[in-house]
Amino acid sequence: MVNPIYIVVALLGSAFLSGLSKQHSSAAASWLAYGALLFSVVVSATWLGAFIFNGIPAAEIFTAGVNPPFSINLRMGLEEAFLTLAINLAGMAGLSYLSRDFSIWGQKATTIFLVLIMSVNVVVMTRDLFNLFVFSEVGSIAMVGLIFTRRDTDGYSAGFKYLIAVSVISALLLLGIGFVYYNTGSLNVDTILSQSSLVNGSLAVALFLVLISLVLELKVFPVNGWALDVYQTVNPGIGSVISGVVGTGSLYVLYKMLPLGGALWYEIVLIVGLVTFVGSNFVAISQKNVNRLLGYSSVAQAGLLMVALGAAPLVGQHFLLIAGGVFLSQFLAKSGLFWLAGMINSADTAGWAVLRQKPVLLVLFGFFVLALAGFPPFPSFFGKWQLVIDLAHNGQFAVIAALLIGSLFEAVYLFRWLGEAIKLPVAEGLTLQTPLSRLWPVLLFGILLPVGGYLFSRLTPGFDGFLMVSVAFALALMLLDYLPAWIKNSLTIAGLLLYASLVYPLIEGDLIRVVFAVIFVGGGLLTLIAGYSVKGKRMGFFPFAILMYAGLIGLIEAQNLLQFLFAWELMTLGSYILIIRGKKSMLHALNYMLFSLGGAYMIMMGISLSVFGTQGLDLALMGTSYWPVWSVALLALGFLTKTAALGLHIWLPGAHAEAESDVSPMVSGILLKAGAFGLVLLFLAIGGEANSQQPLLYALGWLGALTALGGNLMAAFQEDAKKLLAYSSVANLGYILFAFAFMTHIGWIAGFTYSINHFLFKTLLFLAIGGVVLRTGTHNMYEMGGLIKRVPWSFITVLIGIITLAGIPPLSGFSGKWLFYHAVIAKGWYFQGTMVFFAGTIAFLYCFKLIYSIFLGQEKDHLRKVKEVPVWYIVPQVLLVLAIMVFSYRPDLILVPLGHTLAAANYFPTDPITWNGLTASTTAGYWNASQIMMVIGVMFVILLGWLLFMSRKAQKVKQFNIVFAAERPFRPETTHYSYNMFRHYHRAVGFLVAPVATRFWNGVDAVMHDVAHSAKKIYSGNGQTYIVHLLAYVVIIYLLMF
Amino acid sequence: MEIVTKLGFVLLGLVIILNWGLIMAGIIRKIIARASMRRGISITQPYINLFKNYSIRSQITHGVMFYLGPVFRLSGGVGIFLFMPLIFGSENWSNFSFAGDLVLIVYFMFFGMLGMALGAGEGGHPYSAIGISRGLAQFTAIELPLTLAIISIAIQYKTLSITEIVAAQQGGIQNWTLVTNPLATLAAMISFLGAMGHAPFNVVMAPQENPIGPPTEYHGTFLGVLQTNRAILHVIEAVLWMNLFFGGATNWIELILKSFFIYFWSVFVGMVFPRFRVDQSISWLLKLPTLIGILAIVIFLL
Repeated sequence: MVNPIYIVVALLGSAFLSGLSKQHSSAAASWLAYGALLFSVVVSATWLGAFIFNGIPAAEIFTAGVNPPFSINLRMGLEEAFLTLAINLAGMAGLSYLSRDFSIWGQKATTIFLVLIMSVNVVVMTRDLFNLFVFSEVGSIAMVGLIFTRRDTDGYSAGFKYLIAVSVISALLLLGIGFVYYNTGSLNVDTILSQSSLVNGSLAVALFLVLISLVLELKVFPVNGWALDVYQTVNPGIGSVISGVVGTGSLYVLYKMLPLGGALWYEIVLIVGLVTFVGSNFVAISQKNVNRLLGYSSVAQAGLLMVALGAAPLVGQHFLLIAGGVFLSQFLAKSGLFWLAGMINSADTAGWAVLRQKPVLLVLFGFFVLALAGFPPFPSFFGKWQLVIDLAHNGQFAVIAALLIGSLFEAVYLFRWLGEAIKLPVAEGLTLQTPLSRLWPVLLFGILLPVGGYLFSRLTPGFDGFLMVSVAFALALMLLDYLPAWIKNSLTIAGLLLYASLVYPLIEGDLIRVVFAVIFVGGGLLTLIAGYSVKGKRMGFFPFAILMYAGLIGLIEAQNLLQFLFAWELMTLGSYILIIRGKKSMLHALNYMLFSLGGAYMIMMGISLSVFGTQGLDLALMGTSYWPVWSVALLALGFLTKTAALGLHIWLPGAHAEAESDVSPMVSGILLKAGAFGLVLLFLAIGGEANSQQPLLYALGWLGALTALGGNLMAAFQEDAKKLLAYSSVANLGYILFAFAFMTHIGWIAGFTYSINHFLFKTLLFLAIGGVVLRTGTHNMYEMGGLIKRVPWSFITVLIGIITLAGIPPLSGFSGKWLFYHAVIAKGWYFQGTMVFFAGTIAFLYCFKLIYSIFLGQEKDHLRKVKEVPVWYIVPQVLLVLAIMVFSYRPDLILVPLGHTLAAANYFPTDPITWNGLTASTTAGYWNASQIMMVIGVMFVILLGWLLFMSRKAQKVKQFNIVFAAERPFRPETTHYSYNMFRHYHRAVGFLVAPVATRFWNGVDAVMHDVAHSAKKIYSGNGQTYIVHLLAYVVIIYLLMF
Repeated sequence: MEIVTKLGFVLLGLVIILNWGLIMAGIIRKIIARASMRRGISITQPYINLFKNYSIRSQITHGVMFYLGPVFRLSGGVGIFLFMPLIFGSENWSNFSFAGDLVLIVYFMFFGMLGMALGAGEGGHPYSAIGISRGLAQFTAIELPLTLAIISIAIQYKTLSITEIVAAQQGGIQNWTLVTNPLATLAAMISFLGAMGHAPFNVVMAPQENPIGPPTEYHGTFLGVLQTNRAILHVIEAVLWMNLFFGGATNWIELILKSFFIYFWSVFVGMVFPRFRVDQSISWLLKLPTLIGILAIVIFLL
């Protein structure tokens, strides 16, 4: 093993040599610098390997040949090896990234850079307080040197502010170190630590000074104006060094020194970190300047790591997993983001649209954003998960809540930014600067993220590596994205089938899971078939489609809460990208993401309440805690953001309507069932029929009924066909919530019937309408009309779809209505039930509007050449129609075995439905779907035959051959009655659809932005004010402590 | 053999109901005319109209759905008939009511409406679409008091089987729902006014401003089918109300009398009150009648 002191030697040596070299030998000097950094990387890496694979103990390196405390000693342990590797790697990548700038700034810059990297290496390894101080100072001065490379007023001003702030902090540190030495007679950390029972009087103050200066070094909120100004001013390449290298060093120093302060200091660091994380993310919400935004985000992530540090005593052996996961994500992602910022050179986040010129970079940008937001498969997901779970085991719910709120704030700006990059038009004149020297660091760090994610997933207790296979599949598809769409589509279908076949043996026999699996997998196949109609490459679609389906199947497969959440987030991620692909979807996708994340965090909070006092992660723990009402309510609300319950629905219509034609059925017919599945698991976990949550379920029942009513009313007033269907989905998920909230056997049978039906007819309708939209190029129904002759297949499938939707016998929608009536009567929820039935009649309004406005009435001139929709759209529709027919004729095929499953002792043992052959009966009534279908079918055929015979000589005329009130029709546009069709209805009941929810959320949005904007005013830009902030902060913390 | 007998009785029942529907329509029109100081038409006029329409040789069609519309409409009427028990205690006159209960009938009413809407829609006539949009909108509000009334009697009789609801009302007028649950009956009778499409809820057909609403484009055989349906539907819906609220019928005479008076209720009100606009009728239905319906449930919860 190479002595790590040689890292210092090599870096320092190359720095000196590079400083000495003349301008003409600059190439040699920079190779020397690379060599030194590479050497350092290799040394750190060999140590890390030895620690991990050989399990050797940490090595102590004594300098000057004398033992501490008389000399300085360095330590190389697992943490040090890992962090110096990260620092040196970032140094090497950073040097390459900055090489162009350095060639302009001159050789001195390289020298300063190497000194900086060296100093941080020492800061990490040293065990001597004074040595720490010295190398911190060396690092700070080097930093200022780098800041000054920007030779203008802004650069000098920022550098000067930095200098003053760091000086003040250093002064505190030095003072503290002096007092520590005075009290303990040693400067060696280990010696001081070994003198237990010493935190008293003056030593406490001394340690306070040391530790508070280390905390301030981390640029804690809100006394970090000096640092933010630096971030905003410097070259992003240097920004990445401040965030990735210097920040890492400072954090590790705090980690190293924190044991000195004892339990109290852990708490302080936790609280300070929490305030920093939440506050910094909050003020970042209204930030548009990229560099400053990155600064806020860096500070926030440092805050998160401080929380992990502060929680170290609580999380025990998981500390390295937690801190490592969070650290690795933010380290790689933040460096990558800074580097991208430098390539783009746009001060505004909107300029990032230029990334689309290089899709690889856009993907990596996505990686970085997702890693920061804590999405799987990146390491931060596992770190955050374990942090939350361990905090939960310790009952630290307030901390968890604050963490989750902070994460939500973070998501606001991260996903706004990502959305802008994906959707906004590319600004004039912006170009992407991607020389290889800048490209490879980004590529390397981007690739390391999923790799790190895999490693951390292996370390996380309760995680099954099998789940990562689907992620690997999606990544592989990403690499194959240059292939034609049909090949990738086939691969996606094959992958889906393969995954489903692997999962099936696990869930065989669990009919509840099987039903949802059929919806997810069957729906996936049908909608992917429609995808064959897309020509070209369709880049960026398939990896995310498979990710969404993998997430959905993962939900079914999940064995514990971690796996469930992992799958939930994968599904959210995949569907987010699918949604944002729609033409006008930027805002809708952001809404979707924020509501989904808000939901996911509520689920997280519910889970943390549920696992308190237990050791397991079993799914059956959901909602079973000391505070069952809270945990059930939080989990239910989390799932309801996905099902778009009234009030949480505002993201849905836009997201579903603007999505591509084959994506709408995916996200509407299929994806929404994930929320229903979550509710099913939750409600079963709390004891099925024997649950003790009746008041809460009663409230959810009302919420379901109101959602059904509101959704259908809003659907009736839409002009956009896809929005109409989207609002109808809101309503239908309301029905489903209502049914499951009954918590009775028949209610659940109704809930499942509704779930299956909604999947069938909504996928069918969205496919059919999507196909028509493809052909006509508009979503507006009043612009269509009379298309029955152009797209007869679509007409037939829509007809069947709306009959099913409306619950008209003999199709399967009626099964749901019949079960509903009986469930309502049995449960006694009469008024909610009436509201739901009333909502059902309103569905007729939009069903009619949908089919009439598009297919009937007067045909427009410009649509007379519309062709039938692509056959790839027809095939899945025909299959769905067949499925509807089978389910209509023989509902018992599914409902009888489902009834047996639900009658299990811990579910719903009171089964009121008896099946006598094909007749289902309860004490209140009976119904035989097959007989009904036969009676109606025979009658219909007879009557049709009779009419055909009677009017066999009827003459066929064109649609325009009508006369009304002595007038001839003027144009199809003026004769087609469609726009504002239910104006009279709006006059009567329109007050019920006032956009209260939208106004509320807009208000929340406005208030958040305004407050964040006002909060930012604390950063005056004045260096003196910043110093006052720093000192005031120290005084306040001091007063709070003593 | 059994099935043949069954079919025979069903067909016979249908013929009786159709003829009674036509005769009743004639009688009602005569009554309306006399009440308006007119002499009025012959009571055989509905037969004459039907005969004429089925015999017209020059017909036009607008397309497939134009055909299917009337078929759906008539299937709706006949379907309700098929699933409706007619005479209490008679297996032969119970039709196919073993296939489903009251919920089936309630939802099957939509079958015909939907088909009519689509058929008229393909006619391409804006007045048809206007009429349908009015009809559907008004129907949502008509259904509300009816639903509340149905739930009320379901609580009362603990069943949704029409046969059992009729059975529970046997033994004299004091057992009729009319007496035992007057609030539900009142709510349902208001709904009935809407369902029958007389004033004040007749803007759907709007004889004045939209020459004649949904069936505007229909003529000849098509119109004949619609008229056939109307004759059946009026009687059979009156039979439904009779079964639910007025003790059902134990023989044909009782059925004919009761269905006449139930239907006459809508004519009577229509003669007295002027017409609502659609938004007015909806607002009205959602107020007092809905409140009555709610009260009809609340009294069972107290």
